[in-house]
Amino acid sequence: MIVVTGASKGLGRAICERLLSKDMEVLGLARDVSGVPFQAMACDVSSYDDVKTVVQAIKRGGKNLHGLINAAGIASMNLALTTPPKVSQQIVETNLLGTIYCCQLFSQLLIRNRRGSIINFSTIAVALGLKGESIYAASKAGVESFTRAFAREMADFNVNVNCIAPGPINTDLLAGITASQIAKIVSQQVIPKQFTHDAVSDLVELLLDRRSNSLSGQVLHVGGA
Amino acid sequence: MDLGLITFHRLNYMSEPKQYVYETIASLLGNKSAQVSDDTPLIGDGSVLDSMKLVELCLKLEDKAAELGFEFDWTSAAAMSTSRSMFRTADTLATEFLSQMKSKR
Repeated sequence: MIVVTGASKGLGRAICERLLSKDMEVLGLARDVSGVPFQAMACDVSSYDDVKTVVQAIKRGGKNLHGLINAAGIASMNLALTTPPKVSQQIVETNLLGTIYCCQLFSQLLIRNRRGSIINFSTIAVALGLKGESIYAASKAGVESFTRAFAREMADFNVNVNCIAPGPINTDLLAGITASQIAKIVSQQVIPKQFTHDAVSDLVELLLDRRSNSLSGQVLHVGGA
Repeated sequence: MDLGLITFHRLNYMSEPKQYVYETIASLLGNKSAQVSDDTPLIGDGSVLDSMKLVELCLKLEDKAAELGFEFDWTSAAAMSTSRSMFRTADTLATEFLSQMKSKR
């Protein structure tokens, strides 16, 4: 079974649909799973207890976990100076702490199988230091650092931990960013074109495949940075 | 009421999990009859277990706890502290395991 957070919409939803199309068993997690047309559980990843409840349910169900995809994320395109503290807190709690909690708790199941793949999500905003995304980028920079160090902790258990850092992909996270701003970001990528969900899902499939088991602790930039 | 019998039963009840902790450490060392004493260090200099074996020990204790009807929480802010950690020695770990068993059952 593969657990995907942020499964109700955007990138997480697209990843779930791709994995389901490949006949993989997927459990989607999201704060609100009403209307999600596949196996899903309500879970706020910023709540340690919520995540623990899901882990216990999987344990009780006797399911073998082989992968964790931490796609849940929120953003607020705003200047740091004009961002209210509550919003900063929510961004860090969901993006960084949510990823950490899921890695900590779900890896207890992956360790038991002596194999697995964890895929975290960062952003090109970290590499480019994008104006208006400082808090979002800071939370994702934390995810990248966590990924590198946690990968070493998991290596003995044959669990690979990597991070995908997409450029601008059409999701709700891009709401409020103008076409010209997107074009400017894309122009700074190594491959200056806007990629889609499909490119990200391709990378997810690659990282779940055992043929990529020599990769761990890496940040993979979609489009290059 | 035979207080002596109650005490005897309680000792037996308390010692079985402790014995399990020690036996599990010994088995992780690859030797069922390895000498594990109260002072056997589990972290820091002289530790008999590497971090991987320590996690394996925790997972086994988690399973044992589930069998005994409680949830063993092996996370702690002081987990790697050689002065305060439950993993300081075999005895401190067994003591913590028993303490959680008593408080959570």
